[in-house]
Amino acid sequence: MAATTVPIGVLFSVDGPYGDVSRSMLNGALLAVAEWNERTGSPLRLDPVIANPAGDLRLYAAMGRDMIAQGLQHVVGCYTSSSRKEIIPLFEKADALLWYPTHYEGFECSANVIYTGAVANQHLLPLADYMIEHYGRNAFCVGSNYIWAWENNRILRERLAASHGRVTAERYFAVGETDFAQVIEAILKARPAFVFNTLIGISSYCFLRDFRAACQGANIDQPRVIPVASCTLSEPELRAIGPEAADGHITAGVYFASIQSADNARFVAAYQARYPDGPVACADAESAYIAMRLLTLSLVETQGRTDVDAVKRAVARVRMQAPQGPVQVDPETLHAALTPRIGRSRHDMGFDILAEAPGPVRPDPYLIWNSPRFWTVGAPPVLRVAS
Amino acid sequence: MSGARIVQNFRGQRGVLCGAPHMAVETLQASLERLGMTLARPTEINPGELDASRDVLLIDGDLPLDAVLDRRAGSLLSLAPAIGLVGVEAPSRLKALMDVGVTAFLRKPVHAAAVYAALFLAVNGYNRTRALELELAEHAQRRRGRRAVVKAVVHLMQTTGLDDDQAYALLRRDSMRRRVSIEDHAAELIAAAGQTPQDPIHPDLKHWA
Repeated sequence: MAATTVPIGVLFSVDGPYGDVSRSMLNGALLAVAEWNERTGSPLRLDPVIANPAGDLRLYAAMGRDMIAQGLQHVVGCYTSSSRKEIIPLFEKADALLWYPTHYEGFECSANVIYTGAVANQHLLPLADYMIEHYGRNAFCVGSNYIWAWENNRILRERLAASHGRVTAERYFAVGETDFAQVIEAILKARPAFVFNTLIGISSYCFLRDFRAACQGANIDQPRVIPVASCTLSEPELRAIGPEAADGHITAGVYFASIQSADNARFVAAYQARYPDGPVACADAESAYIAMRLLTLSLVETQGRTDVDAVKRAVARVRMQAPQGPVQVDPETLHAALTPRIGRSRHDMGFDILAEAPGPVRPDPYLIWNSPRFWTVGAPPVLRVAS
Repeated sequence: MSGARIVQNFRGQRGVLCGAPHMAVETLQASLERLGMTLARPTEINPGELDASRDVLLIDGDLPLDAVLDRRAGSLLSLAPAIGLVGVEAPSRLKALMDVGVTAFLRKPVHAAAVYAALFLAVNGYNRTRALELELAEHAQRRRGRRAVVKAVVHLMQTTGLDDDQAYALLRRDSMRRRVSIEDHAAELIAAAGQTPQDPIHPDLKHWA
């Protein structure tokens, strides 16, 4: 293989409403690039072309178009589903490949996207089973008013109904909402076995702080009596919540910085050395690291060929020893097999790992192996959009 | 409203392609397989082998359709849920597809991201329409029987001295005891009494019978 430099698009909104998460993802992706380029002896070099759409959907489209116009065939990027949906048509038209590095709600399989984050059978279903087994079968759902919360609540409702439990209420709030006094009062009145939290960003941090304070005021040991479960809470977010309410939250994820393995110790050390100012290593950083690393290994496998067909064939053959454990891409769905875990946050802003799958779990983006044939009709929850 | 349950998971179902033999099906086939389905391409459709709870017809609207498929007797629907594959978007072709009973469209060339939504609409639209048709047929049947009920009430009033409420209550109780509909019970009662059981069926309603 002759020396080849491959330009790789890196498209993350490090400014804007989800800038912190995107910063973790950018860091993870660039760590994978740096590690590769610093190796000696490989004729393949990666040249990251970085763009920051700042959370603006129009900029995603414009910047994606620019990257494709420059001849880039591979872009690692996007966090929200709306941004991914915005640029997929560009990638399909140009037959380029988007490496989408985060958990999402599933029900998509574009031939021009490699999905390296977890789908519901790798995060929400293990979480639901864990909560049912350890806490109970009645959940109060609080979420930001968009697809991530709607679909996750639907799946949770189905899983609870199958266990003869139920969602006692679903409350949705505008993204960015910070006033949760009413819903907290409703939760304390309803006394569910647990709260399922699909709020994002600042809303989530405010809710967790206010809920903890309200429980303390009512003499309730919140983490033990009404724990809050989610699929997204990460180490940098615990710092954003603050020390008074960071601990005791249950989270499903395929990665926690506290995983005990040589691969993870090496990853965390390299990450901290490169990004001492944070955000600290977390699932978002790891999934972007995996995406870039899988792309790199696929380019090695194709001996530098960058066309999408060759790379897609190659990625199916690649096996990666990731910080979370072995990872590979399922050629049928182009989603990654990942290792589900359940963590509980601690005062010191890390997670204790409470449960762990014995190995990688095959992705099931359409839940064909993990959902009943018929839509579950349960007792209707109290549906209300509060703002 | 109809009590059809919404199908969300199509694993184990079969797509049955009614299209030209040379038609490219890679995307369609791969999309169906990701949903846990298979794709069959029979040279001709044997209506006896179609199962509405398992099969989903994929009908190419660019072919002559009259010979392809029969509709379910007396129904707006095909023999199994059907998706129309739309090439030429001309009204004549769209109507032809509706006429064979499709409940969803999928544009050609098939785009992978559209398959699940089309399938969801085709199957659930079909089940919902089918449930409504059955409900409507049952209503039509009962409406036809009302004449016999009126006659039976009058007959009971004349022969037993009951008032109309009592006569109706008696009819209802007896029909429940015999586990037949009140309309059928009334028809038998007045037939036994030598009266005409009911009006002849209006020609427009015959297909509901």
